Amino acid sequence: MDRRSALKKAGVLAGSAVAIPSLFSLLQSCKSENRLDWQPLFFTETEAKTISVLVDTILPRTDTPGALDVKSDMFIDKVIAKTYDEEGQKKMRSEIAAFNSDCEKNFGGTFIELNASDREKVLQAAEKSSGKFSPGVWGTAVGKQEPIGFYRSIKSMAIWAYFSSAEIGKNVLAYDPVPGTFEPCIPVSEVGNRWSL
Amino acid sequence: MAYLNTKAQKETTYDAIVIGSGISGGWAAKELCEKGLKTLVLERGRIVEHVVDYPTMNLDPWDMELRGGLTPEQKKKHYKNGRSGWVGLETEHFWADDEANPYTEVKPFLWLRGHQMGGKSLLWGKQTYRWSDLDFEANAKDGHGVDWPIRYKDIAPWYTYVEKFAGISGEALGLPQLPDSHFLPPMELNCVEKHVKERIEKDFAGRNMIIGRVAHLTEPLNGRGKCQNRNRCSRGCPFGAYFSSNAVTLPAADATGNLTIRPYSIVQSIIYDEQKGKATGVRIIDSETNEDIEYSAKIIFVNASTLGTTQILLNSTSNRFENGLGNDSGELGHNLMDHTYRVGATGKVDGFDDEYYKGRRPNGIYIPRYVNIDEKSKTDKFLRGFGYQGAGFRGGNPANIESFGADYKDSILKPGPWEFFITGFAECLPYHDNQVYLNKEVLDKWGQPTLSIDAEFKANEKAINKQIQEDAVEMLEKSGLKDVMGFDNNHPPGYGVHEMGTARMGRDPKTSVLNGFNQIHSVKNVFVTDGACMTSSSCVNPSLTYMAITARAADYAVSELKKNNL
Repeated sequence: MDRRSALKKAGVLAGSAVAIPSLFSLLQSCKSENRLDWQPLFFTETEAKTISVLVDTILPRTDTPGALDVKSDMFIDKVIAKTYDEEGQKKMRSEIAAFNSDCEKNFGGTFIELNASDREKVLQAAEKSSGKFSPGVWGTAVGKQEPIGFYRSIKSMAIWAYFSSAEIGKNVLAYDPVPGTFEPCIPVSEVGNRWSL
Repeated sequence: MAYLNTKAQKETTYDAIVIGSGISGGWAAKELCEKGLKTLVLERGRIVEHVVDYPTMNLDPWDMELRGGLTPEQKKKHYKNGRSGWVGLETEHFWADDEANPYTEVKPFLWLRGHQMGGKSLLWGKQTYRWSDLDFEANAKDGHGVDWPIRYKDIAPWYTYVEKFAGISGEALGLPQLPDSHFLPPMELNCVEKHVKERIEKDFAGRNMIIGRVAHLTEPLNGRGKCQNRNRCSRGCPFGAYFSSNAVTLPAADATGNLTIRPYSIVQSIIYDEQKGKATGVRIIDSETNEDIEYSAKIIFVNASTLGTTQILLNSTSNRFENGLGNDSGELGHNLMDHTYRVGATGKVDGFDDEYYKGRRPNGIYIPRYVNIDEKSKTDKFLRGFGYQGAGFRGGNPANIESFGADYKDSILKPGPWEFFITGFAECLPYHDNQVYLNKEVLDKWGQPTLSIDAEFKANEKAINKQIQEDAVEMLEKSGLKDVMGFDNNHPPGYGVHEMGTARMGRDPKTSVLNGFNQIHSVKNVFVTDGACMTSSSCVNPSLTYMAITARAADYAVSELKKNNL
């Protein structure tokens, strides 16, 4: 990318909901594709890129914003940095490493180095192998909770980050902070998307 | 506000002292103040003024930096509370500090505490049901524990009295095992709940599924607004729509001009005067200055929460009462009970894809007890009984769906699948060896002895839990639900947050701590009207009964005081 088209792209981005990289980092990215445009609190740059591509593959932009549009990757980084204890952080780090080394073993590259089709194959396998969350009753899982693998836990965090963002929570999902009345049976068409809160 | 008198040291003599400002303490304060007694409420925590001190009441997830998540430091402060699954940033400030206030679990027990004005009345579940003679006669009939000194007829008018002021919504059904309250209009069942109700009531004779009876206003009452269906109750309600001491009883007490609340007041002990043969006051530690202060009064209501109350009584020793105030029977600290929790079934409901609801109703369904209520429903598998709470809702966990990408993302923006669960609450028998006692090895932040808790569910509760799960699975399967899964989390006592007993009422001073009007048998000017007083546990949520028992005891206390009997 030359300097002129980089500036042009920055101009386009400025009008959208996408995180706007500084001009400096955008120019730097000419040299290194996939360079991060944000400073992680917990992740290394490689880890952060892995998470960004992962959440973008799970929740891509369609005619509604995708996970990256609402900075789900940055929120996951912040949650791990600020709410996990040391042990949990260590585990997360080793799980990302194991995820990438599985990708290398099976497809010859780390997750971000793979093409779209191989990334999909990785996730299809991970969907089968990373466990399911048991149903919850009043905030706690019931029944026997099987172990949750790295992929399912990142997917769950990505959905949380996405649904609980202001952009999705207020403008995409059905948002009604003070419902007033309770209407027990109404057609879905009267609401549209799922309730935000 | 005028009633928030934090510098109450100057005046140390009152007509009445109430220890604790939660559900029962708030009622004691209101009743005593309204009957003209200058009343001092001692609260171990801080002031929580209605609305003003509800910092999270209007926050959406994106308004919070970590969207409700807690830092490792906050988690450490709530290293026990956190086990409940209830503690997030939205309510963290209403849960007691586990590190400053340790307790010892001889056997696993979760002791959830709210150390602030209003106590757990800010955090409670608001399910409110009258007990019946099935409950008050239970001990006498099967011989476990001691007989209650009261019957339904003694407390029925007091239920009505407190319900009219608290505001209880529900549907009158005339069920003998679950007497009707004085009701505001009921909340409504959603269409899946209505469907399951019809199936259960058709297929299982004698079983009912009803909308929960709750302390939420469905009509404005005494200047309080009605429920706005936000379901953010435990953050504090800006409309005052649910019952809490902060929104309801304490403002009423304050309106009399007779109330003084003293925060940061940890009651160390109740002072007993051997010459007079009664209590003369209480000794407190100011939790901020560590100062020791004594307050005196003619009568004392102890409403510090079930175990908080018993801790104070055990710590109130004298030559006359070496083992705790009023503990002639040796029963103080014993017969601790709770309801079993998170045992039931959950499943999916097909066929209502186009149905949804509006509003986050802070309530669910209730299935009243149907076993051991008469000759026909008798079982030989266990004594006593159980009831269920539950709900139907569109949920599903999108993370579990084996898919990702554009179509997946668009699909999870739509309402999820219908789910329905019921979860049982089993009555726990009063066992003498389920107990608490003072631990002088482990001291709290203020150098005070703490509690050791040694209690467990036993064979009868386990037999009830087995039935709860089997019946739950059967009811949901017969109602046509799919993927029905029974569960029993085997929670130890405490998770139900219905801890009861340890200073029980009874007819005989040799086997109980309190009499039929909640007076300590041998110290008649001390009344205990919180969960500590309970003689049995029923399977029914207890808070409404604490309210009624408190109003009744306060009425009696004032009439005795006027007759110079105290």
